[in-house]
Amino acid sequence: MITSRPSDLFIVTAACAVLSACSLPRDPSGTQDRVERSGTLRLGIVEGASIDPPSRQTLARLTERTGARPEIVRGDSEALLTQLKRGKLDLVYGEFAQSSPWSKEVHFSTAQGAVGKVPKGVPAPRFAAMNGENGWIMAVGEASR
Amino acid sequence: MSELPSPIRQDFRNAKRLEWWTLGWMSTVVVIMYLTMGASQAMKTAFFEDILGLIPAITFLVSAHLEPRAPTRKFPFGYLRANSLAFFASAVVLCFMGIYLIWTNGTGLMKAEHPTIPPVTFFGETFWLGWLMIAALAYSIVPPVILGRLKQPIARRLRDKVLFTDSLMQKADWQTGAAGIAGIAGIALGLWWADSLAALLIAIGILKDGIDATRSASAELVDGAPRRLEGNGLSEEAVRLQDRLEKHWPDGTVRIRESGRYLFATVDGVVTPGDIPSNEELMGDDPTWRLGRLSFTPPGKQEPGSGW
Repeated sequence: MITSRPSDLFIVTAACAVLSACSLPRDPSGTQDRVERSGTLRLGIVEGASIDPPSRQTLARLTERTGARPEIVRGDSEALLTQLKRGKLDLVYGEFAQSSPWSKEVHFSTAQGAVGKVPKGVPAPRFAAMNGENGWIMAVGEASR
Repeated sequence: MSELPSPIRQDFRNAKRLEWWTLGWMSTVVVIMYLTMGASQAMKTAFFEDILGLIPAITFLVSAHLEPRAPTRKFPFGYLRANSLAFFASAVVLCFMGIYLIWTNGTGLMKAEHPTIPPVTFFGETFWLGWLMIAALAYSIVPPVILGRLKQPIARRLRDKVLFTDSLMQKADWQTGAAGIAGIAGIALGLWWADSLAALLIAIGILKDGIDATRSASAELVDGAPRRLEGNGLSEEAVRLQDRLEKHWPDGTVRIRESGRYLFATVDGVVTPGDIPSNEELMGDDPTWRLGRLSFTPPGKQEPGSGW
């Protein structure tokens, strides 16, 4: 019979504390590392979308934090999000609805500059990042505050 | 036998109280897990397991409500087997849920899906949802471990398989929480597969519990020989009773089955004797309330399938 001891909980708590102290979470595909090392942020902007002031501010915070310069690529959302999914881009900017079929393929940030919750079906200015790149998604989230 | 035997009434009341505690406490765990689970497969699987963990408690309370009821015209043997039915139902649910979770997590692993756990903002502070998930999983470990330990001795005294299976599942629940924490910690370290792998291990555990419980429950429903509380082996108490009955009536064929928590014994090929030994004598050192019925079938009147 398997039993548990109070020390099990202590170990779990201690492990959490240690993990938070490190620069976690990390990216499985290393997006943030690559951006910081190369000094280039490969940014896709959906054709016709203009970067509004809150999104500009997010981008400024992100480039300041990573020390990277944006390298902008323009194209339609389908092509850009496919490139993002394949790791050819680091970030895509455009007006996306949270209920878009792409929301399963890539991660959409919170709506930029929105006060309160934007309905899922309503397109709003957002940054898209590769799924699972939790460190990078965290960095974008912190820059969006 | 509509009323519970007096030696187990207090334990029965305590068991019901513990199951109500289980529903209340585990509901808080389910709510916390739901609010924090995000896209983590390990979290989702642990969440499903916690919901499943409520089923034995609910089935116990339903069967405990029915069991002491008096027999009716439509149910002339009373509701003693409500407990057996409840046990079977929860075992089957457990099996299906295990298969479903193995499928979803196995395919997720094969498709190399990278789980995303986004940041959340509370009171102006932005932090990774994964830390909140780990805290929720750590909390989810506490109630089942305590409740499982409290239930086990009562389940043994009551010879209650639903309560016992419930207590075993709860006692082992810390593994689910720990596997979930390992999965989230793996994601934090950039190991995308850790989450699905942890979830898969949890799901295999759920299926194993389900298969063990279904085997035991099926044996009871098809009037198999009474099984032990733990595992699928024969109940030692029933074997001892069988020996004593065979000594008393060596010319008869003794068969014992289990109906809920009671042993029902039949001696075939023997005319009902005028002087039947007392339950104390027949049960020896085992609890006398366990012998729920002793019946005799005269020679030539055996039911179909009674021959060995």
